[in-house]
Amino acid sequence: MSATVDTANYGYVTARVRSRRASLFDESDYRKLVRMGPGEIARFMEETEYETEMNALGARYGGVDLIEYALNRNLAKHFDDLLRFADGELYDYIARYLRKFDAWNIKTVIRGVYTDSDQQEITDDLIRAGEFSDQLLDRLVESTSIEMVVERLSNTIFGPALEDAYPDYEETGVLVPLENAVDRAFYSDMLGEFPEEPSEGTRLYIRFLRAEIDFRNVRNALRLARSGADIDPGAYYIPDGRLFDESELRQLTANIGQLTEYLRQGPYASDLDDALSELEAADSLIEFERALQQALLEYADTLTNRYPLSICPVIAYIRAKEREVDNIRAIARGKEAGLTDEEIEEELVIV
Amino acid sequence: MMEITPMLLGAMVLQASAIPAKSGIAIGVGLAAIGAGMAERSIGAAAIGAIAEDDDMLVYGILLTVIPETLVIFALALNFV
Repeated sequence: MSATVDTANYGYVTARVRSRRASLFDESDYRKLVRMGPGEIARFMEETEYETEMNALGARYGGVDLIEYALNRNLAKHFDDLLRFADGELYDYIARYLRKFDAWNIKTVIRGVYTDSDQQEITDDLIRAGEFSDQLLDRLVESTSIEMVVERLSNTIFGPALEDAYPDYEETGVLVPLENAVDRAFYSDMLGEFPEEPSEGTRLYIRFLRAEIDFRNVRNALRLARSGADIDPGAYYIPDGRLFDESELRQLTANIGQLTEYLRQGPYASDLDDALSELEAADSLIEFERALQQALLEYADTLTNRYPLSICPVIAYIRAKEREVDNIRAIARGKEAGLTDEEIEEELVIV
Repeated sequence: MMEITPMLLGAMVLQASAIPAKSGIAIGVGLAAIGAGMAERSIGAAAIGAIAEDDDMLVYGILLTVIPETLVIFALALNFV
């Protein structure tokens, strides 16, 4: 019987998610937005999906900050909804992915406490989209020392990793060990404990997550190779990808030509072909990173159509929503910084 | 173990004809209704999801939810064949 209960829940969640996916901004909306100034963007947003958030925050903030906070709050609202809708297995899969925001929030709090920032400032920068309750987040923000933050997180999945990293932090006085611990806890939880014989949709979800890890590794590797800084790539390596292991990554970051050649032979060759040609031709990381994002989004959308009653539509929606928020933020921030329309358009990822 | 004697066989045949022909249809309708119910379960959930997002979906939602009901109608139609 439990199998049928599950399909009912999948049906409910995917129906809602697909409807929301369809109402995201499309290409013509972006074309309009790119031609607007920050004030006009804010006004445009008041007439769309973001109305409630814009009105709620309008009194406290203005300009691009208002847009940014409204975007974050709207994102949090939608992702919280997803967790509210889903049950059982589906909840677990969605939560794994959304814990990304928990990781983000922990890092924000740790950095805020480290720099003695105002509590209100830290609260403003939180994205309450993850699994953490508001009470937990508020208590984290109220912490007066990093030790307190670590202690208050002891019951979460980040607890053990943070406790292990804490002595390291005390010794060195820099945040890197703690932040790496958070990231590692997040990624190992994301790929941990799947059923022995996953269904086709779940199998693809796992593959999607691994693709995401791979793309992140590629991006980090390229950035490191490009910056030429003497940083150990191993410290930024995320395990469990399909593409390369730690030693390969270390070797490849030394030389961009070698890295692109390696990617051309790897499992993502066909997806990344255009992106790689562009990287070689234009020598621009921005273009390449954009193409990576586009490839991931398109992959998620393909899976949605192939496996309608699975986690895939949900993950496609989450990615698309994140992209939308990133796009609008890029437009608003770009306008503020005085970039031209063409330069901003280059930053957008539209499917 | 009971042996099948001619007498027992005769009793079984008698018994079989004691079940009216219509009872097959009754079983069929019951099974069809169970099948339709199982199908409607996820369709109904999905329809409620769609209606929650967009009120205009109400008509389509109801329409799509009851489509598996045709299975029961087919089963009932057999009654009149």
